[in-house]
Order: sequence, then structure tokens, then C-alpha cells
Amino acid sequence: MAARIFIPLVAILTFVPFLLWVERRGAGLIQDRPGPNRVGPFGLLQSLADVIKFFFKEDLIPASVDRGLYLLAPALAVFAALTTFAVVPYGATLPLAGRSVPLIGADVSIGLLYVFAITSLSVYGIVLAGWASNNKFSLMGGIRSSAQIISYELAMTTAGAGVILSAGSFRLTDVIASQSGTWLGFIPRWNVIPQFLGFIVFYVAAFAETNRTPFDLPEADAELVAGYHTEYSSMKFAMFFMAEYINMVVASAITVTLFFGGWTFPGFAPHGVFGALISVVIFTIKTLFFVWVFVWVRWTLPRFRYDQLMNLGWKVLLPLALVNLFWTAGLIAAQRL
Amino acid sequence: MAAFPVDRIVFDLAAALAVLFAGVMVVHHHPVKSVLSLVVGFFALAICYVMLWAPFIAAIQVIVYGGAILVLFLFVLMLLNVGSETRSPGGRRPVQAFLSGAALLLFAGLLLGLLRHGGAAVVNGSRGPAAAEIAPLARLLYSDYLLPFEALSVLLLAALVGAFVLARREAGP
Repeated sequence: MAARIFIPLVAILTFVPFLLWVERRGAGLIQDRPGPNRVGPFGLLQSLADVIKFFFKEDLIPASVDRGLYLLAPALAVFAALTTFAVVPYGATLPLAGRSVPLIGADVSIGLLYVFAITSLSVYGIVLAGWASNNKFSLMGGIRSSAQIISYELAMTTAGAGVILSAGSFRLTDVIASQSGTWLGFIPRWNVIPQFLGFIVFYVAAFAETNRTPFDLPEADAELVAGYHTEYSSMKFAMFFMAEYINMVVASAITVTLFFGGWTFPGFAPHGVFGALISVVIFTIKTLFFVWVFVWVRWTLPRFRYDQLMNLGWKVLLPLALVNLFWTAGLIAAQRL
Repeated sequence: MAAFPVDRIVFDLAAALAVLFAGVMVVHHHPVKSVLSLVVGFFALAICYVMLWAPFIAAIQVIVYGGAILVLFLFVLMLLNVGSETRSPGGRRPVQAFLSGAALLLFAGLLLGLLRHGGAAVVNGSRGPAAAEIAPLARLLYSDYLLPFEALSVLLLAALVGAFVLARREAGP
């Protein structure tokens, strides 16, 4: 019972240093340079060295910060990032010692709403860091973050509503079940095919919600020094860093669950322990692909200007999400005729 | 009821936290911290809803109030960079004192009435997990309560238009 909650958490946390390596080597690949390659084979131990460095750095707290909130902010960021994964199904049912264990933290009836609720709280980590630091650059970062997340949350939830319509349930296991099987024998019944528009809107909004380039205005280093985490150092900075990468993994996992059938694959029916493990592998591969897209986009696109960001959110993504919602409702109505 | 009523303890703790932080929200001198304590209060209230088998209401509570409205409040406070509240030294305010006293009395009276009629004993597990499903709620909202539901959205639209008109007035023709 506890293990099925604990194992994915530990897996994600141990995965973060590896992701960092992927990001830095990926940046090297895209920019035609080697990237970190000295520590360990292919530079794989570079992140480990960085973690040790973070741990042994002096823990500095600037004199004029609001101490309580300053310390609370990084913890909030990591908390919100980690708790989101609790309702995401990461595999088929695992038969173990005569019992069947569903591979999901908690299969709650409000599944997707829970995800939206926790992600809507994740902004507080950044806003509080910006405000409590007592630094104008940090404050600007916090303000930008709150405006950005409010604007993109609407498009994100509206795009998610399309999936809820077609599944008829908020429960994420139902969402996955509704995507099993194929059309014409070979096209998987994934939501991405009828709701391609919804997928694009959702994934772009996920970039904005995780503050990744081209939506990294809260930390825009060209104008704001380092934005909301300017005054943070050592492990407290590392916690913001961790939160960003955990958010990437979780956002990719949710995109896979909503639009790419989660752990399902056409022609694959999980049987026994081995089948359950294969389903976890399928889910991981799908998720890692979208994590790679996060890295890919970061080193390909420049940052948006603030007005472009707002225009895209309100005048492009939100109307497109509404179009997707009507389109999906129309499809469902047509099926029932 | 089980030997160790975890549900009851969690509910009581969350309820106490909600009341405590609502109080902090009122008396705190700094507007940003007032908003933050309101966030904690709302979150505690959401926990109460979960313990009462109403997870949908809890999620909506967190998304709408915790995640949207209060973030907007914070945004405005930070944009204007509002500092700590300055209280006028001395200066008795008889009208305010009278009004807040009356409000306190009214609230105490309400609480007393509620307690005397046994309204406080609401926590029980009798409704069970079946009550946590969303479909029955949705069916009610779109059948019996359709008119009030839609009327509410029209009301909100009117408020939105009103805010828009008020904000535009300064620009002039």
C-alpha cells in the first residue's frame, strides 16, 4: 500500500540528476558543443558532483528577507511538484501474492481536478520567494509568475475538459480505459487524434505552468538577474531547481495520461507481473519522450516578450481550447445519433 | 466509530486551523500576510470538505479560491507594493467601534443558537464513499438546479461588465 506511493516518488527524485545531465548534454548537442563530459563516463557523474556541491555550500540567508516565508517558499515548490503525481496511474494492475495492486498512488474520483488544484497552488512557492526576498528583481519575477499562471491555467483546464468529456469521468484510470483499443485495427484510440488541438493547447500551457523556456519570464536572466530565486543559494536554490525538473516529469506524465493513452499500447494486454512491468516501461518511455521535448524546445526557441505571452494566452490558446471543447462535444453528440 | 477516530481528529484539526487563520487574516497588519493566512484557511476548509466526503467541493475550493482569486489578490498587492498598514495613532473611532461590537454580538448569538440546536454535530461517516462520486452532483446541477446555476453565471457576467465600465471611465471620449 505504502510502497506503490513511495516507489514512484523515489523514482522521480533519483531521476532528477539524470534529467539535469540530459538537459546539459542535450543543450550541447543542439548548440554543437560537447557539454559536460569530464566527470564520469559521458559526464554522467557531473550532476552528482553538483548535488554534493549544493550540500556543502554555505547556507546564506540575506539580512533583509522575511525569514519565515523565505524559508517556506522552496519547500512549497517541491511539495506541490511531488504531490501532483499521487493520482497518475503509472502502470496496469500488478498481481502480487494473491492480491491485485493497482499501480497508482490513489485512484480518487476527482483525479484530474486534484491535479489542477495542486498545480494552481504551485505558484505560491514562486510568488512567495519573489516577495519574501525583498529584492526588486525577485518581486518582478513573482509578479510575472502569478500573472502568467493565472492566464494559462484557463486554457489548460479548458483543454483538459475535452478529455473529461470524452472519458465521461474525472478519474484518471477511466481516462486511460477510454483510450484503450484501436480504430481500423491499427490506429490507437488515443485522445490526441480526435483532440489534436486540445493536446497542443494543453502541452503549450504546461510549458507556461512549469516556467520553462519560452515561458521562463519569472526568471528571465537577461533582465531580472535570476528572477524569483535571485537571493537563494545552496540547497534552497537546488530545491527550486528540483521542483522545476519534477514539474517537467509530472507535466509530461499527465500529458501522456490525458492524450496518449497512459500505459496502454495497441496490441498489448498486460498479463501477470511481467505484463505490469512492461506497462510501467511503456509509460516511462512515453513520459521521457515529452520530457525530451521540454529540453528540445528550451534550447531551440527564444523567450517571449511579456505582451506576446499575454496575447498568446488569452487571444490564441483560450479560444482554441474552446474550439476543441465544442468539437469534442460535437463528436460525442454525433456518435450518439 | 473506530477505536481511534482519525477522521474526527483530522477534521477537528483542520477546522481549528481554518478558524485560527481566518482570525489571523483579520488582525494581521500586513496585507500580503493577510492574504496568505486566508490561503491557509481556505486550504484547511478544503480538508474539512474532504473529510465530509465532498472531494469535488474541496477541489473547486482550492482551484477557484486558493489557486485563482487569492493569486489575483497577491498579484495586485505586489504590483502596488503595498507595505504594512499604518494605523492612525490614538484617535477613537466611535462608529467603527460600535459596528464591530454589533457584528461580534450578532456572531456570538448565531454561534449560540447553532450550538443549542445541535447543529455542531455534523461529522459522521454515514454518507460513505458513494457520496464522493461526481456524476450524481452533475446530474442535479443540470436538471433540478439548472435555472439557479445559469442565473448565477449571468449575475457574474453582469459584475464583469460593471467592473469593465468602472475601469474604463477614466479614459474618457
